[in-house]
Formats: sequence, structure tokens, C-alpha cells
Amino acid sequence: MQTLVTGLSVGGIYSLMAVGYSLIFSILSFSNFAHGAVIMLGAYIGLALATRLHWGLGLVVAGSVVGAGIISVFNERVAYAALRRRRAPSLFLMISAMGCSVFLENTVYATIGSRFFAFPEFFRREVVSLWGSSLSLLDLFAFTVSVGAIFALHLFITKTKTGIAIRAGVNDMTMCSLMGVNTDRLISIVFFLAGAFAGVAGVFLGIKYLVYPTMGWVTNKAYIAAVIGGLGSLPGALAGGLILGVLETLVSTYLSSVLRDVFSFTMLIALLIWLPNGLMGRETEEKI
Amino acid sequence: MTDERCGERNLESRTEGRPAGEQGPAHLEVRGLHVHYGSIHALHGVDLAVGRGEIVCVVGVNGAGKSTLMWAVSGVLPVTEGSVLLDGVPLVRSGTGRSYGPPRALPPHEIVNLGISLVPERRRLFSALTVRENLIMGSIRRTDRDGIAADLERCFSLYPVLKERLAQRAGTLSGGEQQMLAVSRALMSRPSVLLLDEPSLGLAPLVADALFDTILKIREEGVTVLLVEQNALQALSVSDRGYVLQTGEIVTSAPSGELIENPLIRKAYLGS
Repeated sequence: MQTLVTGLSVGGIYSLMAVGYSLIFSILSFSNFAHGAVIMLGAYIGLALATRLHWGLGLVVAGSVVGAGIISVFNERVAYAALRRRRAPSLFLMISAMGCSVFLENTVYATIGSRFFAFPEFFRREVVSLWGSSLSLLDLFAFTVSVGAIFALHLFITKTKTGIAIRAGVNDMTMCSLMGVNTDRLISIVFFLAGAFAGVAGVFLGIKYLVYPTMGWVTNKAYIAAVIGGLGSLPGALAGGLILGVLETLVSTYLSSVLRDVFSFTMLIALLIWLPNGLMGRETEEKI
Repeated sequence: MTDERCGERNLESRTEGRPAGEQGPAHLEVRGLHVHYGSIHALHGVDLAVGRGEIVCVVGVNGAGKSTLMWAVSGVLPVTEGSVLLDGVPLVRSGTGRSYGPPRALPPHEIVNLGISLVPERRRLFSALTVRENLIMGSIRRTDRDGIAADLERCFSLYPVLKERLAQRAGTLSGGEQQMLAVSRALMSRPSVLLLDEPSLGLAPLVADALFDTILKIREEGVTVLLVEQNALQALSVSDRGYVLQTGEIVTSAPSGELIENPLIRKAYLGS
């Protein structure tokens, strides 16, 4: 039970990251490998707000959401907009995303440096008891916020006009524009949402571990979570993140923590071969 | 549909005496339109005009450039030369601000906002969305709640079956129901010009008949219709005038009745 609870708390953060991945994949059919860099920048923004301005956790998360959201939109406008207007293949977008990731990381190295930073302690070092197992206040808070944010996103895309337009764009972007939707603006909204989720994930990752320039590489796990759930599927991203979190914790607990990443990437290869559409994904040939 | 029924319809449309776009001021006008797909020259200087409240059809065989014309007028396909005008306002402009370079069409969403709505070939519904959500997408730019509600009722009076299917995913509807939804979705934007691309494609004859009856009703409400069809007889039977498009060029245009009677047209497009 303890393993399950710990796994779910890690999985909640994986889900947050996977949702950002899946949102962008669903609308532009490419894996935004710069998402990790946006998560990293979200963590730095949160860190600055917490250490320089001494803001509380709620405001830190809100500031990081807005900051990472804007960075994500800027990233799309600079690196992808021109390519998609030329109807470039998704491989070009993915390569551009990798370039952005390297650029953003190295910009942080060049300006802030390679030091590791820690967030101030927002929570008392207490644990709560849950179904007979113990859970830190941070993990409980992170899990609750993660699931709450994903649920709020679900409500947004099913109940609002903008959300319906996003789903319509996922279905057929050309027809979406023929309904009178400015698709450039719609894509910016999607990138802002993905960035906002990256901001929340960045703050929680930074609090749970540390803040450093390459911390965004953990989004490899978000990619695996998104593939488990089915690339492009939001419920799939939630499920995939939680499943991956639990499985990794099981491997760490009963086998070895060294084997955790070996297991995750072996599972990724197996999934791409035998279950490429994941649990809830739509059928697409592109998986990158 | 029988030839007799088509003939009746054509007589009705002629006796209603709609003004021909070429005689009065054109509501929608296409001037010298050229479209290329890479090195392929798909449209060679197409000229046509549609008067307000007219139904005009463009007939031609598969590959003649009919759908290309529709996508170009909608702003989806880039135009290499020529212009499209709505009430004299250009939708294709030399927007680069230079005297050279290809003309630039307004983006599709701006063209829709000016009042042109397309029902594309094979419907292209948002198959994962429900019927209700597809209709919401049709009216997504509008803010007049009362007007939207009234237009929804108008769609339900045209196609009562849609009201029963509101919560159903569009992809699970039958072909005929999908076409009804596609037309309704386009009408929800309250267009002044409706572009219909092969609306009868894949429909059973009776369903296609009902669809063409609806086109006449839509015109009665003041909507201008530009119709593209391979089924030339049906298209000419509901339209006021027709253009014949052949390998990207307009080869003839005339009132629909004349085209139906023309032996060369009958042989080439009407199968008799």
C-alpha cells in the first residue's frame, strides 16, 4: 500500500508533464521535446518568486503558471509557427523543438550557471496517514493539485467554446479555421495551457528534488507516460502518468532503484512495438 | 431522381425569375483566378459571378478543378493570380504591400466572418464531437445567444432528425444525416453565401433529392448558393445558372435551362 501511495504521488507529477506533452501532440502531431526546458524555466521562475520576493506557495505556483505559459507561447511563435505555416513534416518541428531545448538550457547555464538550487521549505516535515501508509504533506498537496488541474482542464475543453474549438482543431484544423476560428490564436492557447501545466510541474519537481538546468530531462518520463496513455489523449496522459509512477516505485522498492529507468525505457520500446496507440490514443502513424 | 422531376424543378427556378449575377451587381465574384499545386496549374483564369439570392452551379467531370475553386474562394488554397470579391470587397489582396509577388487571400476565418461558408466534399465533420458540439462550432464566432437559438431551431425545422441526435457523435451518423449536419453547421454561421461542394456525393437518391429540396429552401431565406456537383442534372435542376468547368477553365456558362437543353452538354455531362 505504501508503494502504491508513493507511486501515485510521483505519478501525479508525471501526469502533469504528460498532459502538456499530449496537448501539443494532439493538435500539432509532434512531440514537443522543448517541453522539458519550459518545465525547467517554470521551476526557475517559481524559485525566483519564492527566494527573491518571498511569495507563498500558491502565488509561486500561479506566477510559474503564467511565466511558463508565456514562454511556451513564445517558443511556438519563434520555433514552430513558420514551419507549420509551410506545412513542414512533423519531424522538422521535432528537430526544432530539440534545438529550442538545447538553446534554453544553455541560456540558463550561461546566465544563471550550473548550480543546484533548493526551494525554501513550504511544508512542515510531517507525514499524513493514508490507508495505513504515510505520505508527506508535499506529496499529498502535489497529487491533489495535479489531479485537480487535470480535472479543471477536462472541464475547460469539454464545457467551454474555446475548449470545444481545441477538440475540433484536434479533429480537423482546416475545418476549424473554416468555422471562423483563428487557428494561430487557438494554437497559442494550447501552448499556453501546456506551459501552464509545465509551470506547476516545474515547481513541484523543484520542491521535491532540486532546481538545475538539465532538470527538464525528466520529461522523458512524461513522454513515456503519454505513450502509455496514448499520445494525444488527455485522460490517457493522466492514467499513463499514474501507472508509470506506480510501476517505477514498485521496481525501485522490490528490485533496485538503479533499474528504475532501465525498466521505464524498456517499457517505452515495448509499447511502441506492441501497443503504439497506448491505452486511449487515437491511431496515428507519427509517434515522435 | 427522374428527369421529369428535374425538369419540373428547373421550370420552377426559371419562372421564379431570379436575377442573374451577370446582369445585376454580383454578390460573389471570381475574376481571373489562377491556382497552382506546385508545378500543376489547376485553375486557369476562372471568371464567375453569383447574384444575391441566386443558386449558381459549376459542373464538370472529376478533376476539372471544382473543389479547388471552392477551397480557393474559402481562402484555404493560396491563389497565384486573380481575385475574389464579396459585394465588391476583395478577399484576395496583394497584401504584401508590394507591387510584385503573388496575391494573398484573407485567412479562412476572416472570410467566414465576412459571410462565406463552405460545406466541403465528404462533409469533413468533427467526427469525435457530438452533433451539438458541431453546431456550436458553426456558430463559434457569434455572440447573439437569441440569434443562435433561433438558427438552431431553423436547422431543426429543416432537419428534425438532428434534434434527436444532439448527444450523438457526428462520426456515428449515417451519410445522409452527416450531410444534414454539415449543411446545418455551415448555416449556423449565418452566411450570406453558402458554398456546397459535391453535397450529393455518396448519398442514396432519395436522400439526395431531399437535400436539393433543402437547397431551394435555403435560397428562399435569402442565402446565395454556389454549388459544385458531378451530378450535373440534379445541380442544374435546382440552379438558376450554370458554369461548365473543364480542366481548370470555364468553357461555357448559361441559364441552367439552356444548359440542360444543350445537346453537347447533355452528351458530355448528362449522359444522354
